Amino acid sequence: MYKALILNEADNVATAITSLERNEVVVLTAGKDRVELKVRDPIPFGHKFAIRDIADGGFVVKYGHNIGAATSCIETGQHVHIHNLKTLRGVDS
Amino acid sequence: MRQVPPLWGFPRPDGSVGVRNFVAIVAAADAVNPVARRIASLVKGTVPIYTAFGRGMKGEDGERHVRTRAGLAKNPNVAAALVVGLEPKSAQEIANLVAATGKPVEWIAVETIGGSHNATTEGARIALQMVITASRIQREPSAISDLIVGVECGGSDGTSGIASNPATGQVADWLVEAGGTVILSERTEIIGGEEILARNAASAKVAEEIRAVVTRTQEHARQHGIELTNLVPDNIEGGLSTQEEKALGAILKGGTTPLQEIVGSAEQPSKKGLVFMDAHSPGTENITALAGGGAQIIIFSTGLGNPIACPIAPTIKVSGNPNTVVELCDNIDVDVSAIIKGEKSIAQSAEVLYAEFLQVANGGMTRSEVLGDEEVAISGYCHS
Repeated sequence: MYKALILNEADNVATAITSLERNEVVVLTAGKDRVELKVRDPIPFGHKFAIRDIADGGFVVKYGHNIGAATSCIETGQHVHIHNLKTLRGVDS
Repeated sequence: MRQVPPLWGFPRPDGSVGVRNFVAIVAAADAVNPVARRIASLVKGTVPIYTAFGRGMKGEDGERHVRTRAGLAKNPNVAAALVVGLEPKSAQEIANLVAATGKPVEWIAVETIGGSHNATTEGARIALQMVITASRIQREPSAISDLIVGVECGGSDGTSGIASNPATGQVADWLVEAGGTVILSERTEIIGGEEILARNAASAKVAEEIRAVVTRTQEHARQHGIELTNLVPDNIEGGLSTQEEKALGAILKGGTTPLQEIVGSAEQPSKKGLVFMDAHSPGTENITALAGGGAQIIIFSTGLGNPIACPIAPTIKVSGNPNTVVELCDNIDVDVSAIIKGEKSIAQSAEVLYAEFLQVANGGMTRSEVLGDEEVAISGYCHS
């Protein structure tokens, strides 16, 4: 059983499908590629982590589409959630 | 074409087919909700339809209330309806709309019948006869093409877009392939996914209309200083971070067939296939709108669990969250957590959901029907 899923090859985040501890190593498949990476934060079940470095202001991509912009630099393996990801569709956006 | 086991439904005078055979006691306004409930409590086989507001409503709000109350009674799952009004005019207005279906409908008004006791007694007598008559209607062979199915999601989390919504979407595709109608809805929950729906539209006009739904909704929010894109706390707890992320997962439950039409809240689709209903998003309000638009069955996809169902449209709860299917096992009809666990594909899990759907269409009860976790809510003006 995988511990996390990448939903589209264009994605820069994966979704944890089990709760992950800090420094836990996860195996991911993206298309034909199989990659291993170490998560840098505890990742609760159903939450996202970066599978590539994402620049401050860069798009976060899931399902192959932008789901918002990073509000700080996000490093590979870090938790991606409301503390570092903001909608692009809000009233002020 | 997939083989579908025989379906059996209750024939209605307008050619529609019910999967249930209720007698509805419809309150025309909140002032007579207690009378409608009292009548229903006296007569087995009846379902009270009541909600807040309804009295002296104006403009768009008033139209939506009348259309929805009438729509619930017009729903093919209802064999006959008694409308209870405070005064005759509002009761007649709803009764006339229901009468267009050809099904038996009567009305009473508390002000002119001599108060609550008289209304209850007379209403119960009418309802008794309606139930006796309705109980003589037999199920007849029917088909998927007789069905309008609402797809809904609530209590969404990080599993919804991976498991329960795609499984629901696969069933939606099978239903459309078999000639049925599927209604996707929840206007705020397509914000961020509207371009995908537009690209999938059957015509340029429909594409333009789906984009207009989002533009209108966002413009309304700006005018009122409302932030529509704030997720509810359980969405955030469950791992969803933005509206776009929620929408991209939510629209999967409509499947992949071309979007044929946009209808308003509690308006009946005129086309078969995938339809979008421009209606309020919160669960109870949305399932009310779907059933008001004629949906006989609702597939309700949930991550963290949401118990609510529509009293006249059996509401099937499907979850792919391995924790929810254990912790809320009383509420969840279909477990598709095998997708997350890597034990089954989306299509294999959708087979399980489709089998349950066909059972429910033929009379099998849902957990929410047995629990009685059923409610009606008609939205106010705000485009939430």
